[in-house]
Amino acid sequence: MERKKWYAFGTREVVYSALGAALYGVLSFATNMLALPAAGNLALRPAVCIPMFFGVAFGPWVGFITGFLGNIIGDALSGWGFWFWWDLGNGLMGLIPGFAASMITNYRATRSFVVADLFSILGVIVGMGLASLSEIWVSGIDLNTATVGYFLPAALTDIVNGIILVPILMVAYAAIVGRTGR
Amino acid sequence: MLISWRYRERNTLIQKLDPRARWIFLLTVMFSVIQFWDIRFLAFFLGLSLVYYFLARLTWKETRRVWTFVLILVVVIIGLNALITGRGGSTAVLRDTRHTVWEVRWVVPGVGWTIHLFITVEKIVFALAQMMRMLTIAVLFIPVAFTFNPNHYGVTFRRLGLPDKVAFSMDLAFRFVPTLAHDFSLTLDAQRARGYEVEKLSGGLIAQIRKMAPLIVPVTINAIVGAEDIVNAMDLRCFGLRPRTWLQELRYAPRDDALIGFSVVVLVGSLLARALLRIGDFWVPDAVLRLFGF
Repeated sequence: MERKKWYAFGTREVVYSALGAALYGVLSFATNMLALPAAGNLALRPAVCIPMFFGVAFGPWVGFITGFLGNIIGDALSGWGFWFWWDLGNGLMGLIPGFAASMITNYRATRSFVVADLFSILGVIVGMGLASLSEIWVSGIDLNTATVGYFLPAALTDIVNGIILVPILMVAYAAIVGRTGR
Repeated sequence: MLISWRYRERNTLIQKLDPRARWIFLLTVMFSVIQFWDIRFLAFFLGLSLVYYFLARLTWKETRRVWTFVLILVVVIIGLNALITGRGGSTAVLRDTRHTVWEVRWVVPGVGWTIHLFITVEKIVFALAQMMRMLTIAVLFIPVAFTFNPNHYGVTFRRLGLPDKVAFSMDLAFRFVPTLAHDFSLTLDAQRARGYEVEKLSGGLIAQIRKMAPLIVPVTINAIVGAEDIVNAMDLRCFGLRPRTWLQELRYAPRDDALIGFSVVVLVGSLLARALLRIGDFWVPDAVLRLFGF
Protein backbone atom coordinates (compact mmCIF):
# COMPACT_ATOMS: atom_id res chain seq x y z
CA MET A 1 0.00 0.00 0.00
CA GLU A 2 1.24 3.49 -0.82
CA ARG A 3 2.67 5.46 2.14
CA LYS A 4 0.57 8.45 3.07
CA LYS A 5 1.93 11.98 3.43
CA TRP A 6 0.97 13.07 6.94
CA TYR A 7 0.58 16.74 6.05
CA ALA A 8 -1.70 16.20 3.02
CA PHE A 9 -5.05 18.00 3.18
CA GLY A 10 -6.96 17.43 -0.04
CA THR A 11 -10.57 16.73 -0.89
CA ARG A 12 -10.47 13.36 0.87
CA GLU A 13 -9.22 14.95 4.09
CA VAL A 14 -11.85 17.72 3.87
CA VAL A 15 -14.66 15.17 3.63
CA TYR A 16 -13.31 12.79 6.28
CA SER A 17 -12.64 15.66 8.70
CA ALA A 18 -16.23 16.76 8.31
CA LEU A 19 -17.54 13.22 8.59
CA GLY A 20 -15.40 12.44 11.64
CA ALA A 21 -16.46 15.65 13.38
CA ALA A 22 -20.13 15.01 12.71
CA LEU A 23 -19.81 11.39 13.86
CA TYR A 24 -17.97 12.36 17.03
CA GLY A 25 -20.55 15.03 17.81
CA VAL A 26 -23.54 12.76 17.14
CA LEU A 27 -22.12 9.73 18.97
CA SER A 28 -21.11 11.85 21.98
CA PHE A 29 -24.59 13.32 22.15
CA ALA A 30 -26.34 9.99 21.51
CA THR A 31 -24.36 7.95 24.03
CA ASN A 32 -24.95 10.69 26.61
CA MET A 33 -28.68 10.49 25.95
CA LEU A 34 -28.73 6.68 26.28
CA ALA A 35 -27.64 6.89 29.94
CA LEU A 36 -25.12 4.10 29.60
CA PRO A 37 -24.10 2.17 32.69
CA ALA A 38 -20.82 3.17 34.30
CA ALA A 39 -18.30 1.60 36.64
CA GLY A 40 -18.03 3.52 39.92
CA ASN A 41 -17.91 7.22 39.18
CA LEU A 42 -16.35 6.72 35.75
CA ALA A 43 -18.73 7.63 32.92
CA LEU A 44 -18.49 5.72 29.66
CA ARG A 45 -17.55 7.99 26.76
CA PRO A 46 -17.12 5.47 23.95
CA ALA A 47 -17.28 8.14 21.23
CA VAL A 48 -13.72 9.30 22.04
CA CYS A 49 -12.47 6.45 19.87
CA ILE A 50 -13.69 8.38 16.78
CA PRO A 51 -11.03 11.16 16.68
CA MET A 52 -8.35 8.58 17.52
CA PHE A 53 -9.49 6.22 14.78
CA PHE A 54 -9.93 8.99 12.18
CA GLY A 55 -6.42 10.18 13.04
CA VAL A 56 -4.99 6.66 12.61
CA ALA A 57 -6.89 6.04 9.37
CA PHE A 58 -6.71 9.45 7.65
CA GLY A 59 -3.85 11.38 9.22
CA PRO A 60 -3.26 14.06 11.87
CA TRP A 61 -5.22 16.96 10.36
CA VAL A 62 -8.32 14.81 9.96
CA GLY A 63 -7.86 13.55 13.53
CA PHE A 64 -7.44 17.07 14.83
CA ILE A 65 -10.51 18.53 13.10
CA THR A 66 -12.54 15.46 14.07
CA GLY A 67 -11.73 15.95 17.75
CA PHE A 68 -11.82 19.73 17.85
CA LEU A 69 -14.91 20.33 15.75
CA GLY A 70 -16.63 17.14 16.90
CA ASN A 71 -16.45 18.31 20.50
CA ILE A 72 -17.91 21.68 19.48
CA ILE A 73 -20.74 19.91 17.63
CA GLY A 74 -21.42 17.58 20.58
CA ASP A 75 -21.60 20.61 22.88
CA ALA A 76 -23.79 22.47 20.40
CA LEU A 77 -26.22 19.55 20.31
CA SER A 78 -26.26 19.17 24.09
CA GLY A 79 -26.26 22.91 24.81
CA TRP A 80 -23.05 22.88 26.84
CA GLY A 81 -21.63 26.11 25.41
CA PHE A 82 -18.10 26.49 24.10
CA TRP A 83 -14.96 25.39 26.01
CA PHE A 84 -12.05 26.26 23.77
CA TRP A 85 -9.26 24.48 25.67
CA TRP A 86 -11.26 21.25 25.99
CA ASP A 87 -12.10 21.42 22.28
CA LEU A 88 -8.39 21.87 21.59
CA GLY A 89 -7.57 18.96 23.91
CA ASN A 90 -10.00 16.76 22.01
CA GLY A 91 -8.36 17.91 18.79
CA LEU A 92 -4.96 16.79 20.07
CA MET A 93 -6.49 13.43 20.99
CA GLY A 94 -7.04 12.97 17.25
CA LEU A 95 -3.94 14.78 15.98
CA ILE A 96 -1.34 12.69 17.81
CA PRO A 97 -2.73 9.25 16.79
CA GLY A 98 -2.66 10.73 13.28
CA PHE A 99 1.13 10.58 13.30
CA ALA A 100 0.76 6.80 13.45
CA ALA A 101 -1.11 6.83 10.12
CA SER A 102 2.06 6.81 8.04
CA MET A 103 3.39 3.80 10.02
CA ILE A 104 0.29 1.68 9.48
CA THR A 105 -0.25 -0.17 6.21
CA ASN A 106 -2.05 -3.27 7.41
CA TYR A 107 -5.03 -2.48 9.62
CA ARG A 108 -5.29 -6.09 10.83
CA ALA A 109 -1.71 -6.56 12.03
CA THR A 110 -1.03 -6.81 15.76
CA ARG A 111 1.85 -4.37 15.33
CA SER A 112 -0.58 -1.82 13.88
CA PHE A 113 -2.90 -2.20 16.89
CA VAL A 114 0.01 -1.64 19.26
CA VAL A 115 1.21 1.44 17.35
CA ALA A 116 -2.32 2.87 17.14
CA ASP A 117 -2.97 2.26 20.83
CA LEU A 118 0.34 3.77 21.93
CA PHE A 119 -0.26 6.92 19.90
CA SER A 120 -3.85 7.07 21.16
CA ILE A 121 -2.65 6.90 24.77
CA LEU A 122 -0.09 9.62 24.06
CA GLY A 123 -2.83 11.68 22.42
CA VAL A 124 -5.08 11.38 25.46
CA ILE A 125 -2.26 12.29 27.84
CA VAL A 126 -1.25 15.36 25.81
CA GLY A 127 -4.81 16.41 24.90
CA MET A 128 -6.46 15.98 28.27
CA GLY A 129 -3.26 17.19 29.93
CA LEU A 130 -3.36 20.46 28.00
CA ALA A 131 -7.09 20.90 28.63
CA SER A 132 -6.69 20.22 32.36
CA LEU A 133 -3.60 22.42 32.71
CA SER A 134 -5.39 25.21 30.86
CA GLU A 135 -7.73 25.44 33.85
CA ILE A 136 -4.73 26.65 35.87
CA TRP A 137 -4.54 29.91 33.95
CA VAL A 138 -8.21 30.10 33.00
CA SER A 139 -9.86 29.22 36.33
CA GLY A 140 -6.79 29.78 38.52
CA ILE A 141 -6.83 26.29 40.06
CA ASP A 142 -3.63 24.60 41.20
CA LEU A 143 -1.77 21.69 39.60
CA ASN A 144 -3.08 19.17 42.13
CA THR A 145 -6.75 20.02 41.43
CA ALA A 146 -6.10 20.08 37.69
CA THR A 147 -4.56 16.62 37.89
CA VAL A 148 -6.89 14.89 40.34
CA GLY A 149 -10.11 16.77 39.58
CA TYR A 150 -9.85 17.07 35.80
CA PHE A 151 -7.02 15.11 34.16
CA LEU A 152 -7.23 11.67 35.79
CA PRO A 153 -11.01 11.10 35.50
CA ALA A 154 -11.00 12.25 31.87
CA ALA A 155 -7.79 10.57 30.74
CA LEU A 156 -8.32 7.17 32.37
CA THR A 157 -11.70 6.52 30.79
CA ASP A 158 -10.61 7.95 27.43
CA ILE A 159 -7.55 5.67 27.37
CA VAL A 160 -9.60 2.57 28.20
CA ASN A 161 -12.20 3.46 25.56
CA GLY A 162 -9.50 4.19 22.99
CA ILE A 163 -7.36 1.10 23.41
CA ILE A 164 -10.41 -1.18 23.18
CA LEU A 165 -12.44 0.44 20.43
CA VAL A 166 -9.73 1.77 18.06
CA PRO A 167 -8.43 -1.73 17.14
CA ILE A 168 -12.02 -2.94 16.63
CA LEU A 169 -12.66 -0.04 14.24
CA MET A 170 -9.34 -0.74 12.48
CA VAL A 171 -10.34 -4.35 11.78
CA ALA A 172 -13.71 -3.22 10.44
CA TYR A 173 -12.02 -0.54 8.32
CA ALA A 174 -9.57 -3.11 6.90
CA ALA A 175 -12.53 -4.86 5.32
CA ILE A 176 -13.49 -1.78 3.29
CA VAL A 177 -10.16 -0.03 2.75
CA GLY A 178 -9.38 -2.04 -0.40
CA ARG A 179 -12.67 -0.96 -1.96
CA THR A 180 -11.75 2.71 -2.11
CA GLY A 181 -9.06 2.14 -4.72
CA ARG A 182 -6.89 4.91 -3.23
CA MET B 1 -33.78 9.28 18.37
CA LEU B 2 -34.55 12.84 17.43
CA ILE B 3 -31.61 15.17 17.15
CA SER B 4 -31.90 18.91 16.84
CA TRP B 5 -29.72 21.94 17.26
CA ARG B 6 -30.20 24.04 20.35
CA TYR B 7 -30.03 27.05 18.09
CA ARG B 8 -33.19 28.89 17.11
CA GLU B 9 -33.89 32.33 15.74
CA ARG B 10 -34.88 34.66 18.59
CA ASN B 11 -34.84 38.11 16.97
CA THR B 12 -32.48 39.47 19.62
CA LEU B 13 -29.80 42.13 19.42
CA ILE B 14 -27.17 39.42 19.96
CA GLN B 15 -28.35 37.47 16.94
CA LYS B 16 -28.47 40.58 14.79
CA LEU B 17 -24.74 41.07 15.32
CA ASP B 18 -22.29 39.70 12.78
CA PRO B 19 -21.03 36.29 14.05
CA ARG B 20 -17.41 37.38 13.46
CA ALA B 21 -17.86 40.40 15.70
CA ARG B 22 -19.38 38.16 18.38
CA TRP B 23 -16.47 35.69 18.27
CA ILE B 24 -13.99 38.56 18.49
CA PHE B 25 -15.88 39.92 21.51
CA LEU B 26 -16.04 36.53 23.25
CA LEU B 27 -12.37 35.71 22.76
CA THR B 28 -11.07 39.16 23.72
CA VAL B 29 -13.17 39.23 26.89
CA MET B 30 -12.03 35.71 27.80
CA PHE B 31 -8.35 36.64 27.36
CA SER B 32 -8.94 39.86 29.31
CA VAL B 33 -10.68 38.30 32.30
CA ILE B 34 -7.98 35.71 32.89
CA GLN B 35 -5.47 38.53 33.48
CA PHE B 36 -7.14 39.59 36.74
CA TRP B 37 -7.50 38.45 40.35
CA ASP B 38 -8.89 41.72 41.74
CA ILE B 39 -12.61 41.23 42.41
CA ARG B 40 -13.38 44.83 41.32
CA PHE B 41 -12.15 44.06 37.79
CA LEU B 42 -13.74 40.62 37.88
CA ALA B 43 -17.06 42.19 38.88
CA PHE B 44 -16.85 44.42 35.78
CA PHE B 45 -16.28 41.40 33.51
CA LEU B 46 -18.97 39.33 35.22
CA GLY B 47 -21.42 42.22 34.76
CA LEU B 48 -20.42 42.51 31.10
CA SER B 49 -20.93 38.81 30.47
CA LEU B 50 -24.29 38.85 32.30
CA VAL B 51 -25.49 41.73 30.09
CA TYR B 52 -24.44 39.69 27.05
CA TYR B 53 -26.15 36.59 28.45
CA PHE B 54 -29.46 38.31 29.17
CA LEU B 55 -29.45 40.01 25.76
CA ALA B 56 -29.41 36.49 24.29
CA ARG B 57 -32.83 35.89 25.94
CA LEU B 58 -32.32 32.23 26.77
CA THR B 59 -34.94 30.51 28.87
CA TRP B 60 -34.29 28.67 32.12
CA LYS B 61 -35.88 25.54 30.65
CA GLU B 62 -33.38 25.26 27.82
CA THR B 63 -30.31 26.11 29.91
CA ARG B 64 -31.20 24.30 33.15
CA ARG B 65 -28.91 21.31 32.50
CA VAL B 66 -25.86 23.36 31.66
CA TRP B 67 -26.44 25.71 34.60
CA THR B 68 -26.61 22.74 36.99
CA PHE B 69 -23.29 21.50 35.65
CA VAL B 70 -21.66 24.94 35.73
CA LEU B 71 -22.84 25.72 39.26
CA ILE B 72 -21.62 22.35 40.61
CA LEU B 73 -18.28 22.97 38.92
CA VAL B 74 -17.95 26.56 40.09
CA VAL B 75 -19.21 26.14 43.65
CA VAL B 76 -18.10 22.63 44.62
CA ILE B 77 -14.97 21.90 42.60
CA ILE B 78 -13.59 25.43 42.25
CA GLY B 79 -15.12 27.40 45.15
CA LEU B 80 -14.95 24.90 48.02
CA ASN B 81 -11.50 23.74 46.98
CA ALA B 82 -10.20 27.32 46.93
CA LEU B 83 -11.90 28.08 50.26
CA ILE B 84 -10.44 25.08 52.09
CA THR B 85 -7.02 24.74 50.49
CA GLY B 86 -6.41 28.17 48.94
CA ARG B 87 -4.46 26.34 46.25
CA GLY B 88 -3.67 28.39 43.18
CA GLY B 89 -3.49 31.53 45.28
CA SER B 90 -0.59 33.74 46.33
CA THR B 91 1.49 33.24 49.49
CA ALA B 92 -0.90 35.59 51.33
CA VAL B 93 -3.74 33.19 50.59
CA LEU B 94 -1.83 30.00 51.33
CA ARG B 95 0.22 30.93 54.44
CA ASP B 96 -1.18 34.08 56.08
CA THR B 97 -3.10 33.09 59.22
CA ARG B 98 -3.56 36.55 60.76
CA HIS B 99 -7.17 36.80 59.59
CA THR B 100 -8.35 33.29 60.47
CA VAL B 101 -12.13 32.99 60.82
CA TRP B 102 -12.37 29.22 61.34
CA GLU B 103 -9.82 26.59 62.26
CA VAL B 104 -9.71 22.89 63.11
CA ARG B 105 -6.87 20.56 64.09
CA TRP B 106 -7.49 16.84 64.01
CA VAL B 107 -5.06 14.08 64.85
CA VAL B 108 -5.70 10.91 62.85
CA PRO B 109 -6.02 8.05 65.35
CA GLY B 110 -3.42 5.33 65.01
CA VAL B 111 -0.96 7.15 62.73
CA GLY B 112 -0.78 10.44 64.63
CA TRP B 113 -0.91 12.70 61.56
CA THR B 114 -2.27 16.16 62.23
CA ILE B 115 -4.73 17.64 59.78
CA HIS B 116 -4.84 21.42 60.07
CA LEU B 117 -7.61 23.16 58.17
CA PHE B 118 -8.15 26.90 58.42
CA ILE B 119 -10.26 29.41 56.59
CA THR B 120 -9.01 32.97 56.40
CA VAL B 121 -10.53 36.16 55.03
CA GLU B 122 -7.95 35.94 52.23
CA LYS B 123 -9.12 32.45 51.30
CA ILE B 124 -12.76 33.55 51.25
CA VAL B 125 -11.98 36.47 48.91
CA PHE B 126 -9.74 34.23 46.80
CA ALA B 127 -12.50 31.62 46.45
CA LEU B 128 -14.91 34.40 45.46
CA ALA B 129 -12.45 35.70 42.84
CA GLN B 130 -11.89 32.24 41.41
CA MET B 131 -15.62 31.56 41.18
CA MET B 132 -16.18 34.96 39.50
CA ARG B 133 -13.52 34.22 36.87
CA MET B 134 -14.96 30.81 36.07
CA LEU B 135 -18.55 32.06 36.10
CA THR B 136 -17.71 34.96 33.76
CA ILE B 137 -16.26 32.61 31.16
CA ALA B 138 -19.13 30.13 31.52
CA VAL B 139 -21.78 32.86 31.22
CA LEU B 140 -20.04 34.24 28.12
CA PHE B 141 -19.93 30.94 26.29
CA ILE B 142 -23.21 29.26 27.31
CA PRO B 143 -25.18 31.21 24.66
CA VAL B 144 -22.90 30.00 21.83
CA ALA B 145 -24.77 26.76 21.25
CA PHE B 146 -28.17 28.49 21.44
CA THR B 147 -27.55 31.60 19.38
CA PHE B 148 -25.01 30.80 16.65
CA ASN B 149 -26.58 29.48 13.46
CA PRO B 150 -24.77 26.18 12.65
CA ASN B 151 -25.06 27.01 8.93
CA HIS B 152 -22.88 30.08 9.43
CA TYR B 153 -19.89 28.44 11.14
CA GLY B 154 -18.05 27.74 7.87
CA VAL B 155 -18.37 31.19 6.35
CA THR B 156 -17.73 32.88 9.70
CA PHE B 157 -14.40 31.18 10.27
CA ARG B 158 -13.44 31.54 6.60
CA ARG B 159 -13.95 35.29 6.87
CA LEU B 160 -12.00 35.26 10.13
CA GLY B 161 -9.02 33.93 8.19
CA LEU B 162 -9.26 30.13 8.27
CA PRO B 163 -8.24 28.36 5.02
CA ASP B 164 -11.04 27.59 2.56
CA LYS B 165 -10.73 23.82 2.95
CA VAL B 166 -10.90 23.87 6.74
CA ALA B 167 -13.86 26.26 6.69
CA PHE B 168 -15.63 24.05 4.16
CA SER B 169 -14.93 21.06 6.40
CA MET B 170 -16.73 22.87 9.23
CA ASP B 171 -19.64 23.71 6.96
CA LEU B 172 -19.90 20.12 5.73
CA ALA B 173 -19.68 18.66 9.25
CA PHE B 174 -22.78 20.55 10.38
CA ARG B 175 -24.62 19.31 7.27
CA PHE B 176 -23.70 15.68 8.00
CA VAL B 177 -25.18 15.72 11.50
CA PRO B 178 -28.87 15.01 10.71
CA THR B 179 -27.98 12.17 8.31
CA LEU B 180 -25.61 10.52 10.77
CA ALA B 181 -28.11 10.90 13.60
CA HIS B 182 -30.68 9.12 11.41
CA ASP B 183 -28.16 6.34 10.63
CA PHE B 184 -27.36 5.96 14.32
CA SER B 185 -31.05 5.69 15.14
CA LEU B 186 -31.57 3.01 12.46
CA THR B 187 -28.57 1.02 13.68
CA LEU B 188 -29.76 1.22 17.28
CA ASP B 189 -33.22 -0.05 16.28
CA ALA B 190 -31.73 -2.83 14.14
CA GLN B 191 -29.48 -4.01 16.97
CA ARG B 192 -32.34 -3.85 19.47
CA ALA B 193 -34.43 -6.01 17.12
CA ARG B 194 -31.60 -8.58 17.37
CA GLY B 195 -31.81 -8.52 21.18
CA TYR B 196 -29.07 -5.98 21.89
CA GLU B 197 -29.87 -4.07 25.07
CA VAL B 198 -27.68 -1.02 25.27
CA GLU B 199 -29.11 0.07 28.63
CA LYS B 200 -28.31 -3.31 30.23
CA LEU B 201 -24.71 -3.95 29.27
CA SER B 202 -23.29 -6.42 31.75
CA GLY B 203 -19.73 -7.14 32.86
CA GLY B 204 -16.87 -4.92 33.95
CA LEU B 205 -15.81 -1.65 32.42
CA ILE B 206 -13.79 -3.27 29.61
CA ALA B 207 -16.56 -5.73 28.75
CA GLN B 208 -19.10 -2.91 28.67
CA ILE B 209 -16.97 -0.82 26.33
CA ARG B 210 -16.42 -3.79 24.01
CA LYS B 211 -20.17 -4.30 23.89
CA MET B 212 -20.57 -0.76 22.51
CA ALA B 213 -18.85 -1.89 19.30
CA PRO B 214 -22.04 -3.23 17.63
CA LEU B 215 -23.43 0.29 17.86
CA ILE B 216 -20.36 2.37 16.95
CA VAL B 217 -18.72 0.23 14.26
CA PRO B 218 -21.64 -0.07 11.77
CA VAL B 219 -22.42 3.66 11.95
CA THR B 220 -18.77 4.62 11.45
CA ILE B 221 -17.99 2.18 8.65
CA ASN B 222 -21.23 2.91 6.76
CA ALA B 223 -20.44 6.62 6.95
CA ILE B 224 -16.91 6.05 5.61
CA VAL B 225 -18.19 3.96 2.69
CA GLY B 226 -20.72 6.66 1.81
CA ALA B 227 -18.11 9.40 2.11
CA GLU B 228 -16.08 7.96 -0.77
CA ASP B 229 -18.90 8.92 -3.14
CA ILE B 230 -18.82 12.47 -1.81
CA VAL B 231 -15.04 12.64 -2.29
CA ASN B 232 -15.41 11.44 -5.89
CA ALA B 233 -18.22 13.92 -6.60
CA MET B 234 -16.19 16.82 -5.21
CA ASP B 235 -13.07 15.77 -7.11
CA LEU B 236 -15.07 15.59 -10.33
CA ARG B 237 -16.23 19.17 -9.70
CA CYS B 238 -12.59 20.27 -9.20
CA PHE B 239 -13.02 21.14 -5.53
CA GLY B 240 -10.14 23.13 -4.11
CA LEU B 241 -8.70 24.45 -7.37
CA ARG B 242 -10.07 27.97 -6.86
CA PRO B 243 -11.18 29.99 -3.85
CA ARG B 244 -14.73 29.09 -2.86
CA THR B 245 -17.71 31.36 -2.85
CA TRP B 246 -20.25 31.04 -0.03
CA LEU B 247 -24.01 31.17 -0.12
CA GLN B 248 -24.15 33.41 2.93
CA GLU B 249 -22.45 36.78 2.69
CA LEU B 250 -21.45 38.43 5.95
CA ARG B 251 -21.36 42.21 6.16
CA TYR B 252 -20.30 44.32 9.10
CA ALA B 253 -22.86 46.88 10.24
CA PRO B 254 -21.91 49.95 12.33
CA ARG B 255 -22.98 48.08 15.51
CA ASP B 256 -20.48 45.31 14.65
CA ASP B 257 -17.70 47.85 14.23
CA ALA B 258 -18.67 49.31 17.61
CA LEU B 259 -18.56 45.87 19.26
CA ILE B 260 -15.16 45.06 17.72
CA GLY B 261 -13.84 48.47 18.78
CA PHE B 262 -15.09 47.93 22.31
CA SER B 263 -13.54 44.43 22.40
CA VAL B 264 -10.16 45.76 21.30
CA VAL B 265 -10.30 48.54 23.91
CA VAL B 266 -11.12 45.98 26.64
CA LEU B 267 -8.26 43.68 25.63
CA VAL B 268 -5.66 46.44 25.18
CA GLY B 269 -6.83 48.12 28.39
CA SER B 270 -6.51 44.86 30.32
CA LEU B 271 -3.03 44.17 28.99
CA LEU B 272 -1.89 47.72 29.77
CA ALA B 273 -3.43 47.62 33.25
CA ARG B 274 -1.50 44.43 34.06
CA ALA B 275 1.79 45.13 32.26
CA LEU B 276 2.29 48.88 32.71
CA LEU B 277 0.10 50.00 35.62
CA ARG B 278 0.55 46.71 37.50
CA ILE B 279 -3.02 46.75 38.82
CA GLY B 280 -5.50 43.90 39.05
CA ASP B 281 -3.60 41.60 41.43
CA PHE B 282 -5.33 39.78 44.27
CA TRP B 283 -6.93 42.31 46.62
CA VAL B 284 -8.75 41.95 49.93
CA PRO B 285 -11.31 44.75 50.55
CA ASP B 286 -11.10 46.42 53.97
CA ALA B 287 -14.87 46.06 54.23
CA VAL B 288 -14.57 42.28 54.18
CA LEU B 289 -11.89 42.37 56.89
CA ARG B 290 -14.15 44.57 59.02
CA LEU B 291 -17.07 42.25 58.34
CA PHE B 292 -15.16 39.44 60.05
CA GLY B 293 -14.02 41.69 62.90
CA PHE B 294 -10.42 42.46 61.82
